[in-house]
Amino acid sequence: MTVPAVGISNLCKTYKGSSRPALNNLSISIGQGEIYGLLGPNGAGKSTLIHILCGLRRADSGSACIFGLPVPERLAEVKPLIGLVPQDVALYPSLTVNENLRIFGGIYGMRRGELRRRIAGLLGRFGLEEQGDKPLHACSGGMKRCVNLIAGMLHGPRLLILDEPTVGIDVEARRLILDNLRSIRAEGCTIIYTSHYMEEAQALCTRVAFVNHGRIIAEGAPSELMQSSGAESLEDIYLSELRT
Amino acid sequence: MSLPEPASGKRSRPASTFIRLASLLHKDVLLLLRDRAGLSMMFLMPMLLAFIMTYLQNSTFNSINETGIAVAVLNLDADSLGATIERQIAAAGPFELHTEHQTREALIADVQRGAFMIGIVIPEQTTARLRRTVRSYVAAAFEADSLPPVEPPRIEVYIDPVSKPTFRSAVTGAIREQAARIESAFIARAIAAEVSLRFPVSIPNIQLGDNLVLFDERFALARGASVPNATQHNIPAWSIFAIFFIAISLSGNIIKERDEGSYARLRTMPFPQPLYSLSKVIVYQSVCLLQYASIILAGMYIFPFVGLPALAPAPVVPTLLMGASAAAAATGYGIGIGRIASTHQQAAIFAAISTVIMAAIGGVWIPVFIMPGPMRYLSALSPLNWGLEGFYDLFLRGSGVAGILPECALSVAFGLLCAAVAPRLFGEKDS
Repeated sequence: MTVPAVGISNLCKTYKGSSRPALNNLSISIGQGEIYGLLGPNGAGKSTLIHILCGLRRADSGSACIFGLPVPERLAEVKPLIGLVPQDVALYPSLTVNENLRIFGGIYGMRRGELRRRIAGLLGRFGLEEQGDKPLHACSGGMKRCVNLIAGMLHGPRLLILDEPTVGIDVEARRLILDNLRSIRAEGCTIIYTSHYMEEAQALCTRVAFVNHGRIIAEGAPSELMQSSGAESLEDIYLSELRT
Repeated sequence: MSLPEPASGKRSRPASTFIRLASLLHKDVLLLLRDRAGLSMMFLMPMLLAFIMTYLQNSTFNSINETGIAVAVLNLDADSLGATIERQIAAAGPFELHTEHQTREALIADVQRGAFMIGIVIPEQTTARLRRTVRSYVAAAFEADSLPPVEPPRIEVYIDPVSKPTFRSAVTGAIREQAARIESAFIARAIAAEVSLRFPVSIPNIQLGDNLVLFDERFALARGASVPNATQHNIPAWSIFAIFFIAISLSGNIIKERDEGSYARLRTMPFPQPLYSLSKVIVYQSVCLLQYASIILAGMYIFPFVGLPALAPAPVVPTLLMGASAAAAATGYGIGIGRIASTHQQAAIFAAISTVIMAAIGGVWIPVFIMPGPMRYLSALSPLNWGLEGFYDLFLRGSGVAGILPECALSVAFGLLCAAVAPRLFGEKDS
């Protein structure tokens, strides 16, 4: 039996000064090679969950494991296996695309030759091979999002965690990102993906979970969820679940 | 395109740690170099500050000694004392004599509006009264009588209210010195006259020399140390001030990374987290040392071109050691602020004002020895005071490495405390 990519059990987290838990006994199991969508309104607990998985925050109780390694206890071993693509373009605007990627690759410990090849390959994959020397602040919103994604993929993570990777970009760039995510999955990478775009999640994810008030209110493959609820789209399910 | 093996522990740990540190250094250097305006300000502003302060102090010193302090004298005495006072004030170095006033009121009004720093009124009959006073004292001494009640003559000194107490005491001290010489001459003359009157010998007037006691004034310098001048005083003071201003830029850089999200990304990456701070310490420490070197070199080679005294350099090794220690204190302070402050504005205001306060307490503006008692104790707690004392040890007292070790140790300990302990105590802001 293969170890799940992510195993979360009874995770609880309440922020200081808040009476309402951000995560309330949340449990999830994500198999290797899945694209798992975390869907929910703002403040539902999606980002808190991602932060706990990446070691940026600590849970109050419960457990989280990545490829069988408990977090945060074995975070040092987990870190090389994960790639975080934050919601903000978490790069340096005054540096060029290549400089940003070389720096993040270097911090992952990649050697110069290996890194150069990897950057060239990934930029080519996103159609950005000519943009390497462009300062990031001069790039379009879509390009910045692509570079943000590439920075999280440089070291070849086994688990890619994407926090709303397609916010505020045009259709073309969105299509490019989604196509690439499918390819990455085909190469064996597990993806956790948060979004407000239901049609995007429906088209991309193998399974989705609707999260609200720190709990999972529905979970399953998009087709199964639609079939069981008789809804025509994930958006309909989402809205009806939120109302109940 | 297939996924590569995750970059983990395939290569030896020291090698990958070195690659990671090199990449963090590359990032911090590039970020600094891309902010050209900020970088040029980091170098030009401290140099400008050191130049202006040295120039001001030097020209103030020159104006007192060369140009002179305007002193208005209204001599109503019309006798020898008034004339002597006028003559001696005119001859004394720091004063420029003005005798155009006709009335006391006009003189006071001119001093009041700042046209003259000092106004002196020598009233009518001053010489005659002094003569009477001295004669009665001398006569009483020869008769072995108790002193008769006499009212000594009064010379009125009016001072511009804007003048500072230190200036006031320096100037009135100089005037008193001149008056004391005249008094001595009068006393000598009175004694000579009294002796001639009472004894069958006639002695000529007793001639007192200008100075009966000579003061051999020199700086207590170590062997090889240079004579202090405005540059020698100002370069250390403003260098340490400039070094500490790096805290604004450094804390701002940390907060910017946090706000833009790149710090959160870095925290999810596989490298020892202290490398993040280490990289910043190395880069900003280097900037501080370059700043410090540029101010020292300017003091040595550029200041003389604009008429300022040249800085006499201290030995290289202790100078570097003191600079590096002060820089460690400043970078540690910047990292501490960057990790504790919530916003860029909060950090910038706190770093700037706290540096100014520490400079004031530390003696950068006002020498510690003239501070009131409790402030002197407080001064010993300011890291700018440690740096300043260390630099003074080097540039004014001619100390070596051993002489500056306590200041170096305190500065480095302060830097470590700020960077490592303060965020734990005050709570590090979340990314």
